[in-house]
Amino acid sequence: MTGNQTAGSAPRQVDPPEHRYAAELQFLAAYDDGARPPGWLLTPRAVVTFVVGSDERPLVLPAGTAAPEGVPPQLAISEKFVGERALVERCVVTLAGERGLLLVGEPGTAKSMLSELLSAAVCGTSALVVQGTAGTTEDQLRYGWNYAALLAQGPTRGALVPSPVMSAMSAGAVARVEEVTRCLPEVQDSLVSILSDRRIAVPELSGEDSAVPAAPGFCLIATANLRDRGVSEMSAALKRRFNFEQVHPIADIELETALVRRQAAAVLERVHAPFAVDDAVLEVLVTAFRDLRTGSTAEGWEVERPSTVMSTAEAVSVAAALGLASAYFPAGHDALALLPGHLLGVVRKDDPADAARLLGYWDGAVRRRAEQGGQLWRQAWELREQLEL
Amino acid sequence: MSRSWPEPQAAVAELVSAQPFLIGVRHHSPALAAVIPALLDALQPDALLIELPPQFADWLPWLGHPRTVAPVALAGSGEPLPFYPFADFSPELVAIRWAVQRGVEIVPCDLPLGDAGWAERGPRRRKSFGSPFSQALRKAQTGRDGDDLWDRVVEAPAAGCTPEQVRRAALAVGWAMRADEAADGRVAGVDLRREAQMRAVVQDYRQQHHEARIVLLVGAFHAPALIDSATVDPAREYRVAALDEPRPVLQVVTSLVPYADPLLDSRSGYPAGIRDPRWQAETVKAGGDPVKLSAAAARVAVEVCAAVREGGHPAGPGEAREVVRLTEDLARLRGLPAPGRSEIVEALTTVLAQGETLGRGRVVAQAMEQVLIGERRGRLAPGTPRSGLGPSLEALLKELKLPNPDAPLRKELRLDPLRSPLDRRREVTLQRIQACEIYYALAAEVQGVGAAAALTTHWLAAWTPTCAALTEVAGLLGVTLEQASEGTLRRQRERERADGGSTAQQVLDGLLAAAECGLSALASDRLDDVIRVLPTTATLPELLTGLDLLSRLEQGTVPGMVGHPISALGSVVEEVHTAAIRQVDGLAGSTDLADARALLALVVRHDQIGAGLRLDAALKRLAGEGSPLMRGAAAAVRVLLGLDEAAELGDRAAAWLDLDAPGEITARLSGLLIVAGPLLEAGGDVLDPLLARLEQMPETLFLRRLPAVRGGFDVLTPAARSRLLTAVEARLEDRLDLGVSTDPGLLGRWAQADAHALEVLRERGLASSVALAPADRWRLVLGQKQEQLPAQAKRYGVALDELYGQDRGEGAGGDLRGPGAGDGSGYPGVREWSEELTHLFGATVREEVLAAAASGGRVDAALAIDPALARPSVELLTSVLSLVGALPERTVARLRPLVAKVVADLTQDLARTLTPALTSLTSPRPTRRPGGPIDLHRTIRANLRTVRHGPDGTLTVIPEHPVFKTRSKRTTDWRVILLVDVSGSMEASTVWSAITAAVLSGVPALTTHMLAFSTDVIDLTGVVSDPLSLLLEVDVGGGTSIATGLAAARELVTVPSRTMVVVVSDFEEGGAIGPLLAQVRLLVDAGVRVLGCAGLDETGAARYSVSVASQLVGAGMPVAALSPLELARWVGEQVR
Repeated sequence: MTGNQTAGSAPRQVDPPEHRYAAELQFLAAYDDGARPPGWLLTPRAVVTFVVGSDERPLVLPAGTAAPEGVPPQLAISEKFVGERALVERCVVTLAGERGLLLVGEPGTAKSMLSELLSAAVCGTSALVVQGTAGTTEDQLRYGWNYAALLAQGPTRGALVPSPVMSAMSAGAVARVEEVTRCLPEVQDSLVSILSDRRIAVPELSGEDSAVPAAPGFCLIATANLRDRGVSEMSAALKRRFNFEQVHPIADIELETALVRRQAAAVLERVHAPFAVDDAVLEVLVTAFRDLRTGSTAEGWEVERPSTVMSTAEAVSVAAALGLASAYFPAGHDALALLPGHLLGVVRKDDPADAARLLGYWDGAVRRRAEQGGQLWRQAWELREQLEL
Repeated sequence: MSRSWPEPQAAVAELVSAQPFLIGVRHHSPALAAVIPALLDALQPDALLIELPPQFADWLPWLGHPRTVAPVALAGSGEPLPFYPFADFSPELVAIRWAVQRGVEIVPCDLPLGDAGWAERGPRRRKSFGSPFSQALRKAQTGRDGDDLWDRVVEAPAAGCTPEQVRRAALAVGWAMRADEAADGRVAGVDLRREAQMRAVVQDYRQQHHEARIVLLVGAFHAPALIDSATVDPAREYRVAALDEPRPVLQVVTSLVPYADPLLDSRSGYPAGIRDPRWQAETVKAGGDPVKLSAAAARVAVEVCAAVREGGHPAGPGEAREVVRLTEDLARLRGLPAPGRSEIVEALTTVLAQGETLGRGRVVAQAMEQVLIGERRGRLAPGTPRSGLGPSLEALLKELKLPNPDAPLRKELRLDPLRSPLDRRREVTLQRIQACEIYYALAAEVQGVGAAAALTTHWLAAWTPTCAALTEVAGLLGVTLEQASEGTLRRQRERERADGGSTAQQVLDGLLAAAECGLSALASDRLDDVIRVLPTTATLPELLTGLDLLSRLEQGTVPGMVGHPISALGSVVEEVHTAAIRQVDGLAGSTDLADARALLALVVRHDQIGAGLRLDAALKRLAGEGSPLMRGAAAAVRVLLGLDEAAELGDRAAAWLDLDAPGEITARLSGLLIVAGPLLEAGGDVLDPLLARLEQMPETLFLRRLPAVRGGFDVLTPAARSRLLTAVEARLEDRLDLGVSTDPGLLGRWAQADAHALEVLRERGLASSVALAPADRWRLVLGQKQEQLPAQAKRYGVALDELYGQDRGEGAGGDLRGPGAGDGSGYPGVREWSEELTHLFGATVREEVLAAAASGGRVDAALAIDPALARPSVELLTSVLSLVGALPERTVARLRPLVAKVVADLTQDLARTLTPALTSLTSPRPTRRPGGPIDLHRTIRANLRTVRHGPDGTLTVIPEHPVFKTRSKRTTDWRVILLVDVSGSMEASTVWSAITAAVLSGVPALTTHMLAFSTDVIDLTGVVSDPLSLLLEVDVGGGTSIATGLAAARELVTVPSRTMVVVVSDFEEGGAIGPLLAQVRLLVDAGVRVLGCAGLDETGAARYSVSVASQLVGAGMPVAALSPLELARWVGEQVR
């Protein structure tokens, strides 16, 4: 999972997808030479393949295609987004129609990753991003000024500081707005004219400079978090310029366990330690997360949901913490024994009653599973006092 | 998987070319339906062998009749109920029509109805290997995870394919599914038996007609089992031999009945359905032409957008265009010739639903259902023989000797269904007829013995012509009484779902009906509803009703369910019980005695199942922070459960008597005694400290507390009080016995000396005029045996009897001049009573007593209260206002001064506290933080020292410290809509709302509206500034429909972002929860600030439905119990 780092660049904590999967992108561009929407580097079908992978089968360049330099004749595309293929297809088709795409979902459902992957595949860069916060201003979505230059020279093209969105428009690339709903509604609304007129007017300048039109291929991917603000405060005008895709938590427990294991192992790999957490413990961890997330267990028992989000991303961090603990403090600790403490740490965020709900989960579902004879669940039940305050 | 498998490609190839000619179908398949005429035309078969039981043979000509309009259904009797709906997109129907028109012979080849083979069990299921073959097929196509394999492989790519290609795809899917089942070893025994039968029929037919060309139309799954070459069949090792001699074909009742589109949809809960019949019909109509299919998709998109618009959400041609674009592009990306159902549904959801599950999402889902399901009804060809429910019902009635067309006269039936099997059948039949909405029998009430429910039933039944007519109507839903009743009840359930989800009451009614009709499948579905709906929406009384019903089911005393134990009942009981315990939190603010009783009922049921901790915490909160009534009740309940020491409770209760708040003492004692009353009667010593305190407190104090204490004890029935008095007297005597250790003569002299001393003190005015022995105190407190009181003390009793004399419950009234209270004679008028009260208890107590009398319905008492002297309190106001509705205008006029005085005082007080919270203005101010527009003037001024001269002589300012302006908001034009629930009684919340609204209306920046709602909404905005007329105009009572109230409030919204809607309610919504959540979502989505007040009074404790409130919070309406000041602060915060 190290990917191929471009030579000469300093090591980074997180490698953007266009670097990490550069080989795959080049390969796919050569592999599928069908019709592309204007401004796209790959065909829509290849974008889908890039995101969901080729199912571990190596793809072979069609005969007669001269492989560009550095591109292997055959390559298996790795699976990057674990989720429904149809969802990815809908996202790609939305982008191909140059319509705004809004990914909504609970925190930790890989919305941002999906938007990075899509923009890297469509236009080769995922860097044109605005992070939405309550402090985000219109300048960050439209354009700002270099005030020194503005005061010295008056409004000129040179004094204008384009936003990532404006850069994407002039380049015909994909702009990303993370957590768009956290911006103030009036700031969000500056996207309306961008998405409908497809240009940004700069009234301070005159002549040709007074508007920046969007080049073909420009589109916008926004993400929104259902827990924090929801999409409720978005204006209707803005909403109807987006296609909404809801990204759900991973439905299948085995896929989720595999994902947690893979990502936790990747964290440990960075510190050159083996990931030594038992599969059964991981399953207990993932099951607990899923039960608390959905409010009911696989057996159909009702569980009271804590107000905290129990996302897969959180499960990965707990799994990684368990792995790190066993790597750095190998003696004495049983990974399972640490689990309740970590769960409590995840759950106890905003509402003190959440800790009681976790205890309720232990008294209900965990107890019943222990009674039904699950060995690990019995051990987990014996750790109950760790949760009592 | 060590076994060898036939190579899939070869196997399918062999299937395709096999003889007889195979058409593998699914019961509903537009793709196949479209190509079957072409296939048959090409082959010109002599006979069509079709997968149907032979008993239906007689109906086939009618089924294929050109004037029969689909959808129609074939049905038979038996277990499991055979039911075969046919629509235009059913391949079987298309083939039958083709054959009937050309006179081609049709041979049904399935197992006969009633054959033992239908009950055959499969081999034991082995460990599942997953579904490698289906997975492989599925992988070849894209699609959603939940998508059906058949849809993906057969339906979606069918457009533009040749008939032969479609046939091949269908056979391949059937083979793959069969291979997977065989790999797991889970081919059902009934399927194997049916296949053996089909093979036998085919062989038989071929022997008789050697030269005939045969077409075999069967389920694609069965196709591999029907050809001779066994190598193709993945399940060959399981094949069973055909039975040597065909078993006799039973005569069963069969019928052909009309059917309808909405019933065909698989979501309607009927067997053998398909998703979205209308769309499937469009597919058949397009006949596989991609262009026509795309046109149909566009039409659907436009219609859905129109329906969404009708639902009040914007969706115009722009959206419709995007839906069509997305549908087409998705199909193209997936390599399909034309969009399928899945693409349309996905595109509609993506473009229209905007990521919301409530509010808009719900409207879109409803619009999609409405458009995609369709509304067509089937019709039978004229001349079709009569069949269905009518004949079968008449036969059943005759068999059970109930009134029927031959003996229609009215009959009175007393049934004992739990003992006699015949009566049980009759009972279930009558219940089912009732469920079918056929007016045939009337149930009469039967009183049970004691508290137990009645075990026998009593009916009046008669056959009238109406019955015959209504039977025809019910016949649409089934051909036997069982089917029809299940159909009717399921349709009811479906309607509830369409109206936004079942309410708790509907779910319980539905469960009861299903159980009484003996429909176990429906009952267990309803039980699922119970788990789903009750914990999230039910109120405590509903949950208790539910628990009662569930325990009846558990004990098997519902006749219909005798012999049909319901699995998992125990866990349902547990869930509902837990939910009931969760509701306890919502009782905190209750002042209703019924709630204290409900709490007791809940706890009596409580058996230590898991929820102990939770209940402990909830009761602790209740005992510490609840309303006085609930504090008393919770404290006693904690003792009952063993959570607290009994002695502690007695001590604590004794301390309550020292409170100088009569209302509070009354309420706490009421709560305590509702729970602990029985204990006390039995002579338990739990409350000894309380009793002792009553006996020993100084006499003046006792008299001051007397009205309050008597009010508290008034919750006990007269008989209970009488028993209590006996117990207390016994106790007092016991104590005397123990105390006597001195010479009786000496004691006598002491008593004489005491009496003398008292006499002397009295003469000098040093002692109060009465002396009360402990037993007399008890007589006063309990209002019992007052004739034994000393004359002076009797006056107290009489004065209080005037208030508490109206007894209720066990031992009240009656002809016998028994131990009932109200022994004393009344007063000539309220004036005398009032004077006596002042004389005995003082002015303050008098006012309390009169107010209590007023709230008990005594208008004269209310009129006796002096406005000038009255202490302004909300309690007094609610008592008086609760009378107003029932009074003539003239009397109201006399009450007006009192109400006016109290309201004015309260408003003035509140205005004083609220005004500071509401005044504030903000304007843009300079800041260093970049956030708003730059303030150029200030920036230049702040950076003058950095000015540099450029080489060309211009001045350059280097802005080291740029200055910005903050964003400003205008504070004007805010609209506050107070939505007040007046469905219950006149409550403190209502009074506070009115007064708060009056204060808010005085703030210039706000426009205040007040709406009062029950099931209707009254706009009181016109009188909002005058709380007096507002309160006098409010009409309390009726059901609760918060959704209606919110809808009315939404009408008033003009600028959503400057509007606040405050709902004051107990959130016990009478209707379904769905529309309520949708309304809240609508408001929240529009940007309106919404707040729910579970109670608006000074205590901040409220009585409300916890479950509904928590769902509202999820929908975006925060819910809290607030004081008016907190509400005003909230309003101020929003404006700022």
